[in-house]
Amino acid sequence: MQAAVSSPVPVAWYPALAVLTVAVGLMLTASFFIYEATSSTRSRSLAKEITTAAVASVFLGFGSLFVLLASGVYV
Amino acid sequence: MWMRRELRHLAMARRNSLTTVIADVWDKAKHLREAAEEEERHVCKAWKISSQVVRPETTTTATMAPPLPTSILLLLAVAFTVAAATATSPTAPEDGIRVVSAEKRIDLTGPIVKVYLTLKVHNPATGSDASHVLIAFTPLEAQHLAIVKATRAEGKRKKKVYVPLPVEPVDLAANAPDGARLYSVSLSAPLRPSETTTMEVFYVLTHSLEPFPAEITQSESQLVYYRDSALLLSPYHVLEQVTYVKMPSNRVESFTRVDPTARSGPEVKYGTYKDQLPYAYSPILVHHENNHPFAVVEELVRKVEISHWGNVQVTEQYKLKHGGARHKGVFSRLEYQSRQSISGASSFKNLLARLPPRVHSVYYRDEIGNISSSNLRTDSHKSELEFEPRYPLFGGWHCTFTIGYGMPLQDFLFESEDGRRFANLTFGCPLLNTVVDDLTIKIVLPEGSKSPQAVVPFLTEQHLETSYSYLDVVGRTTVVLKKKNVVGEHNVPFQVYYEFNPVFMLAEPLMLISAALLFFVACIAYLHMDLSIGKSQAS
Repeated sequence: MQAAVSSPVPVAWYPALAVLTVAVGLMLTASFFIYEATSSTRSRSLAKEITTAAVASVFLGFGSLFVLLASGVYV
Repeated sequence: MWMRRELRHLAMARRNSLTTVIADVWDKAKHLREAAEEEERHVCKAWKISSQVVRPETTTTATMAPPLPTSILLLLAVAFTVAAATATSPTAPEDGIRVVSAEKRIDLTGPIVKVYLTLKVHNPATGSDASHVLIAFTPLEAQHLAIVKATRAEGKRKKKVYVPLPVEPVDLAANAPDGARLYSVSLSAPLRPSETTTMEVFYVLTHSLEPFPAEITQSESQLVYYRDSALLLSPYHVLEQVTYVKMPSNRVESFTRVDPTARSGPEVKYGTYKDQLPYAYSPILVHHENNHPFAVVEELVRKVEISHWGNVQVTEQYKLKHGGARHKGVFSRLEYQSRQSISGASSFKNLLARLPPRVHSVYYRDEIGNISSSNLRTDSHKSELEFEPRYPLFGGWHCTFTIGYGMPLQDFLFESEDGRRFANLTFGCPLLNTVVDDLTIKIVLPEGSKSPQAVVPFLTEQHLETSYSYLDVVGRTTVVLKKKNVVGEHNVPFQVYYEFNPVFMLAEPLMLISAALLFFVACIAYLHMDLSIGKSQAS
């Protein structure tokens, strides 16, 4: 039989998810910039920088998507 | 009258004993008298045979009115003379079907004309199986015809069920006299010889009530003309028939009499007429009061955007017009507001839109901005949006506005057995009792949808286009459906099937993620570069 197709994440969760992911994303961004500011050029590890940046951008990416969805801009 | 003047001339001329003048004028007068008598005889013949009119002015308006094609009058005259001459004509239509009894109920109570036909069709014993029954419309009716539906009663008494039957227009090549358009009703089970069945036909005519007078002031009431036939236009012999015309109020200015004709309050009954030949026609003109809002949506563009993230967004752009008698003179807001019962009786100031249940984020605005005069009532079956345009609409006035709302995705999007997805939406216009002259429905499918296919129960013009919205790269496939002359009966579900791979849903978050990542990479690159102008300390 035909089955109703619904969104992968319940619509009601969007605002909470937006706050959560954006908060985590911003904290990771903060830690990335703190690390950049506190470490010297020599002691910096590129791998650590890239990892933090990647994880932060995943959270910020999904965070901004959920912000859009929660505010009614259904992409 | 001027014949008399001529005669006076004649007398004067005689007195003046100018014999040549006498002879000349006498000849002229005689000729004129003969011509006038001939004409009078002709008119009397045509009208005595066809119809007797209540008032003489109705006769003149009927004959003078330009929209009534003279061909119909001719047809009527011919049909009637034929009918009178050969009441039991042997020229039966090919398939020999006869309409045993016909009842035509014309409902003029609203701005849209609704006609209910009950036909008892009989297939004579000598005939063959009949798989379809034809119904005929005049060319003018066919032009204004919005929808034709037919049902057939099956089963006996309590177990009676009405089975919908498909109706299709017959090719123009079919030789119907005087351009009559035929529609064919396909029977679910063929009608065997000497069998009788009852059919219900329902059709809707738009723009068929002509305001007369065409211009009214604020305090006047709207009067309209309705033209039809007292006899059923049918390609078959009709043995017995009745026509009822129901008007919205008791105020009926005039109606054509085709004896037997009887009026009781707002209803006029024509008939019973017996033994009519195929394509018999007898024009009737009913002039009555109709103060219902003649809301006509000249153009409606509905955009339905489907998002797999859980929403179906609908945006409707209306170009609304009051299609009734044009407003004449000044508009007095004071009079309109203080004496609402008599002032601006045909105008309307609010509209009702029936929306699906569980709508959210409903808005109503125009070019200037939000219009605050609207109310939304919701229950589990439907939502009702009652709204007022910025000003009350009088005849000929226009107004444009936009309505938008969101609906939950799971109510409208389904997955079929073959793995395709389909959106189950409602066709037509959510406004009640309105005619849409030009309807465009755009279904914007999510990015990455393939091979869209629209399944609409009636004929529509379809094409595809690409539209762009938020976070789009290749654009969204858009199915565009267009239909003219849409009424409330067109508000039926239709489906749009398409193929979609759920992986495409990740396109939007990936774009946002890569944008953020690009920012971080730029930061890393900047911090790793030495952009100072001065000499580097290390070296």
